[in-house]
Amino acid sequence: MDTRSHDKTLSPVSIIGSAALFLSLFLLPLDLAAETQGKSVKIGVLAPLSGPYAGGGTSFVQAATLAAEQANAEGGVLGRPVSVVVADTQGRVDVAKSEALRLISREKATALVGAYLSEETVGVMEVAAAHRKVLIVPVAATAEITDRVRGEYARYRYVFRVGYSIPQWAELVAAFLSSRSVRRYAFVGAGIRWNRELGETLERAASRAGISPTYAAFYSPANPAFDPVAVAAAGSAPDIVVLGDPGRNSVSFLKRLREVAPALPAFSIGGALGDARLAASLPRTAPVYVQAAAWRGGSLRASEYSERYERRYGTPPVGYSDTLPYDAVTVLVAAWRKAGSLDAAPVVAALEKGAFDGVSGTYRFDESHQARWGAKAGDLRGTVVQWERDGARIVFPPR
Amino acid sequence: MSPLPQILLDGLFAGGAYALMAAGMALILGVVKVINLSHGAFFSLGAYVAYAMAARGVAGPAAAVPAAAIAFAFGVFLGKSFVNPARSHPFALPVGTLACALLFEQAAQLAWGPHPLAVDGGVPWAGPLGVAVRRWGAVAFLASAALLGGLKLLLSSRPGLPLKLVAEDEEIAASVGMDVEAVRYLTFGGACAMAAAAGALLAPAGAITPTMGRLPLVLSLIVVIVAGMESVGAVFLLSIALGILGNVCAFYLSPQWSYVALLCVVALLLAARPAGIVTVAGRRD
Repeated sequence: MDTRSHDKTLSPVSIIGSAALFLSLFLLPLDLAAETQGKSVKIGVLAPLSGPYAGGGTSFVQAATLAAEQANAEGGVLGRPVSVVVADTQGRVDVAKSEALRLISREKATALVGAYLSEETVGVMEVAAAHRKVLIVPVAATAEITDRVRGEYARYRYVFRVGYSIPQWAELVAAFLSSRSVRRYAFVGAGIRWNRELGETLERAASRAGISPTYAAFYSPANPAFDPVAVAAAGSAPDIVVLGDPGRNSVSFLKRLREVAPALPAFSIGGALGDARLAASLPRTAPVYVQAAAWRGGSLRASEYSERYERRYGTPPVGYSDTLPYDAVTVLVAAWRKAGSLDAAPVVAALEKGAFDGVSGTYRFDESHQARWGAKAGDLRGTVVQWERDGARIVFPPR
Repeated sequence: MSPLPQILLDGLFAGGAYALMAAGMALILGVVKVINLSHGAFFSLGAYVAYAMAARGVAGPAAAVPAAAIAFAFGVFLGKSFVNPARSHPFALPVGTLACALLFEQAAQLAWGPHPLAVDGGVPWAGPLGVAVRRWGAVAFLASAALLGGLKLLLSSRPGLPLKLVAEDEEIAASVGMDVEAVRYLTFGGACAMAAAAGALLAPAGAITPTMGRLPLVLSLIVVIVAGMESVGAVFLLSIALGILGNVCAFYLSPQWSYVALLCVVALLLAARPAGIVTVAGRRD
């Protein structure tokens, strides 16, 4: 680097411009957190609104906001309106923890919903447990969350998960693969902990249905080598490729897969590939299946929610990072009403014993505070859609 | 049928993509002598322009032209208003250009939303030995070869003399009446245009997001630091070599180890030649 001195110095305009630039970086996210009301019951929503996970985080907040509005349209909670206070976790554990603390201590949030990533959520659990605040987990799937509730109930009893856990997710995927008569599959995911957990758990769940993996690979998020992974996955001659990454990389990978194996079906565990705009940019040379918690047409509630979401935000929900946060807020509000109180203890008791209707079905929690997703009667089933030229068609569970 | 030809071809194309980004980075480091951490943001800008053009029915490499023009205008503005005045402060520029990149990410999020977008890449061409020739890969490779070839030609001809002179010694360049400031901000703008063109050409390769430029930024920086800024040919060849190495390692070793292997090779090369693998004797400080 050149360190020689130069006669030109910073002009006042440059200094002011640079200062404005830095300030704007900090002020922009605050607009999103400005939605607070006087005597409302505040729900602290933790999601990444900047950085690589901003897409999922924004859907998360939009859906949570929509659920709060719906709750207010139905009369609020105990005669008070519900409001959402948003915190940007940036996809970082340290930020998620400090923001959770801010929501509880400064914003006086009555309960928390979030976070987005498993690592963030484990951090937020600590804060919620220390302050005895109810935390509803919508999308983070790691088994560590419910393991902690089971292992240290007294400490973590405030934590409930509406989203599917990794073992449940694997069972849902295996049930779908079995329904399509798949015998061999290739699994491709990101080289992160929960994706590896999902790959291993799916292998066990699938083997019970006589389905075996032909290939498994986890690309580095720092330099995802999609091309060779797509070549290797296709070369292992599977019946289907399972995409374990719910993020934008699943889109990039699927594009590469289509280029080397146009006729090979692909199954996404949900997320980005549930976006109709992205699906429209992919070649339709082979089926693309996407898992979702709920989808328009699956039930009356799902259709109503989907239409409301699209009317409000201009695009239909993807069925995962929006639908589960919506249900998280809906379940929380219903638990407050059922308990007749905002105090944590009666709300925990209501959540443990009650059944709560959401977009994805009726939520009931097991002893580890995990919502019951699965194939048994009364379980939440989830859904799988197949993208077609004119939109998505529900293909699982069979009707 | 062996997958090796496909792996090698894809590696070649991946290398071409690295070279496209690295060309502009090399120019900025060589002539303006700053680390531009907003280079990835211009890559993202190019991809978004390609998306906007595709939405209006203009698909393919043609989007690289408006993308480059817009980025050039932004680059010249940034070069003139911020880079030139702040150059003498060693830490101001990396921090300032990083802030610009973050600001762009926020602006892109506001303008296009945080959700991934995509551009149709078209059906690949069928090559010999059953190899699928990815259209965007072929275009990126040919464009990077043409761009770096053009740059090499420019630097060895009379019109490229101001760039070479400013790169070698600004004081001598100024003493012979050259407008060093103008050379610097125009070079900065040109390099930003190259990054945007790369983004537009590679837009069909994956998902378009506000943060998509972060990875190419790191890779191009690695290429330029290892290759050195004095040989355009070295930047191109090293990019190709790293592209092929990464793909071969990902296929035969593991996708996660490919990045580690790539960084190990880079570390070894830097240990052997700290000033870059190609340096011209007597030119460096």
